[in-house]
Amino acid sequence: MSLMKDTEEGNILLLMGNEAIARGAIEGGVDVVTAYPGTPSSEIVETLARAAEDFDYYVEWSTNEKVAFEVAAGASLTGKRSLVAMKNAGLNVAMDTFMTLPYTGVKGGLVIVVADDPNAHYSSNEQDTRTAAIYAQIPCLEPSDQQEAKDMTKSAFKLSEELELPVFIRSVTRLSHASGNVKPGSICAAPPKKTGFNKHWKMPYRWNVYGPPGPVNKHRWLYQQNEKAKELLKNEKYTSIFIPDSAETGIIASGLGASYALEALNVLGINENIAFFKTGFINPLPESKITSFLRSLKKVIFIEEGDPVVEKQVRVLAQEEAPNVEIQGKMKDHIFDPCGELNVNIVEETLCKALEIKLNQDTEREDIKERLGALVIPRSSTLCAGCPHLGTYWALKKALLKFQGTHIINGDIGCYEQGGYGVFSSEIKGSPDDSEKYPIDSPYEILDTLYVMGSGIAMAIGQTQSEYTDGKILAVAGDSTFYHTVLPAVMDASYSNADLTFLVLDNSWTCMTGHQPNPNTGKSPTGEPAPRIEISGVVKAMGIENVHVVDPYDLQRSTDAIVKALEFEGPSVVILRRECALQVQRRNRLKKPLTTVDTEKCIGCSKCLELGCPAVIFDTPSHKAGIDKLLCVDCGLCSQICPVSAISGKEE
Amino acid sequence: MFNIIVAGVGGQGSILASHIIADAAIRRACENSDHQLKVRLGETFGAAMRGGAVASHVKIGRDVYNPLIPENRADVILGLEPLETLRAGLRYIKPGGRVIMNIRKYEPVDVNTGKSDYPTVEKIVEAFDKIDSHVTAFDATGLAVECGTFKSMNVVMLGALANCSLPFSAEDLEGIIKQRVPEKTISINLRAFQEGFKKARQLWED
Repeated sequence: MSLMKDTEEGNILLLMGNEAIARGAIEGGVDVVTAYPGTPSSEIVETLARAAEDFDYYVEWSTNEKVAFEVAAGASLTGKRSLVAMKNAGLNVAMDTFMTLPYTGVKGGLVIVVADDPNAHYSSNEQDTRTAAIYAQIPCLEPSDQQEAKDMTKSAFKLSEELELPVFIRSVTRLSHASGNVKPGSICAAPPKKTGFNKHWKMPYRWNVYGPPGPVNKHRWLYQQNEKAKELLKNEKYTSIFIPDSAETGIIASGLGASYALEALNVLGINENIAFFKTGFINPLPESKITSFLRSLKKVIFIEEGDPVVEKQVRVLAQEEAPNVEIQGKMKDHIFDPCGELNVNIVEETLCKALEIKLNQDTEREDIKERLGALVIPRSSTLCAGCPHLGTYWALKKALLKFQGTHIINGDIGCYEQGGYGVFSSEIKGSPDDSEKYPIDSPYEILDTLYVMGSGIAMAIGQTQSEYTDGKILAVAGDSTFYHTVLPAVMDASYSNADLTFLVLDNSWTCMTGHQPNPNTGKSPTGEPAPRIEISGVVKAMGIENVHVVDPYDLQRSTDAIVKALEFEGPSVVILRRECALQVQRRNRLKKPLTTVDTEKCIGCSKCLELGCPAVIFDTPSHKAGIDKLLCVDCGLCSQICPVSAISGKEE
Repeated sequence: MFNIIVAGVGGQGSILASHIIADAAIRRACENSDHQLKVRLGETFGAAMRGGAVASHVKIGRDVYNPLIPENRADVILGLEPLETLRAGLRYIKPGGRVIMNIRKYEPVDVNTGKSDYPTVEKIVEAFDKIDSHVTAFDATGLAVECGTFKSMNVVMLGALANCSLPFSAEDLEGIIKQRVPEKTISINLRAFQEGFKKARQLWED
């Protein structure tokens, strides 16, 4: 990728935050790169995979974040520089090793990049992983723009080696997925590092937490390294401080919070009157600089994206060092909402209130805008036209109609999770009843539980063992999720002989995060051929006997297979296999779809709309179905559903 | 500071269009050796990869720190789809700002299933009039099809945008378009750009 090779002095590159982090890794001389894809972090390793042929490093899409973390850690123990990237929730998967590795520390620089998702744009939660870095007692940096994202990544390798600790970089959606100008730096042209391994490197039993002197003493070493970090980072370059002579109020900000604050101060015209402290280090905080800042002011306002992580630490510090300063932020009597994300408007309004400045607002225009807001209808998210999951969900709905009761369908994470998003404009109300059956009138209402990767099938096991007999118990998961965290649960279902049906929605790629390859794809991260580990063989080897493999574009066979699986007592698996329609279109674009609705035959029953395909449209005035020719991929699903055979086109 | 939002539905090319605008601004800054100029590009979108609402924010200027345009501060809304133009425009367009809108609808599933009514284009234009912004509305998808493919609709819209007073020139935009679109579609896209430019100019003159 040319952007990654560009080193010309004075050039400016427009880089996405994730590309800037990738660029920083290359400039920092990374040797080993690992990740499991997760929005908004995926482009870090996608970029590094594309650039891999130009630079001599190893890159892999690991089966999950724990494996990714351990692969990177293993390389570091032999002296290599490694980087592991993941999304907020991914860190939870890696947590076991993440909490323990700091006890032994590392040898080659190990950089952990975690992209948080305030406002949960693409995530099940809004967790602030800076807390995890503090929990693990490792240095944590938070960039405020793309330039800092690149610079911090580059310098993190060296810092990691100096402290012999992993270094954590916290990004957020608005940084990772936004682009900004970046001045590229020089690419580390160090000769290939020789790898080595010494089990007693600098300390006895260095890479073995149990080895004498044991975990408690290794924990003590970690405390010492944290003290050393404070000393080493006294003159770090990521703190900026501005204190005007007359200032009584100041702002302490980090990351994107700092960038919103700067813009708001400019717009309000108070940037010359308010003191401003931006910290790039979240752990350790530049405590002595913060102490003198606090002592020079009467009031300090905290602006940070996520939880009050900096604020909480500084409140403790202030109690000791500056007890008279008034502190406002997201804690006690909070002025900022700790949920959701910040933006310039929120910061402006909040600062105006806190500083008793009049907010310049055209209230008349705002009133008109509010009234006009009724015109803006929601746009529910949908699966793509021709998505194989549409066929799977239709077949599942049909199969379930053959069984009485309130069935439970446990969802999982991937494109198919949209089966739990609902239609935004339907107005659903809660009900206090214990058990109640609801009709499934769209594929977007089919999933009943939805949490995190791998949770669906394991929850299904719990439901079967709780003697729930009001209906069938099922779970769904995709192929990448199957390898990521479903495997141990399948083993559990088999071992406990749980009476459940598990559907694997196998579309050959990790689609929701941008079509990365996985063990079921047959391709490496750089596009080379790789072994393909076939799912039916794996589940059979785990002792599941009732296994079916069907094509979800064939609705009758898919329905029959799901019925058979549901009739079986004990664990059963149906693998619905069909490559993602987008990937097929990318390779082999359909010139003109043949699917059409014969309006003479169409009776306007709108059955085809229940498929939930965005290419099936309905003309209300004429009361006839239609096909959006720009979207249709001739999958043939709607023509199998039409009760009067009005839809045709695909060769039968 | 110059702020522009490209709004549309996932798959329509709004992200590429916003990158072309941002690249044109960077190129102008490089050629003018303007090291103070900053460009930020951010996206707000729903969970779906395809078919979800997408709005890309492009900020160009010296005091630019973050990627999100505040409410009521967009100079231009480039709307690739009517409902999404309204969604982004109502929130972000400044008083006196300019809205350029493709009138070809992409109906959400909420409308198909009879749960919501899609506002008419006339209502949308009227709404923008009420909040003191100038709308230019035309069938950009139709123009793109005439040029060779519906997919060049985003470039038709960039052509229309080039009539605005921008911190870069129409030639800057054309230069970046040549670099960013697939090689075999360059001539189609350059034609789409010209057609969009002419169409908007003609509408403004009327």
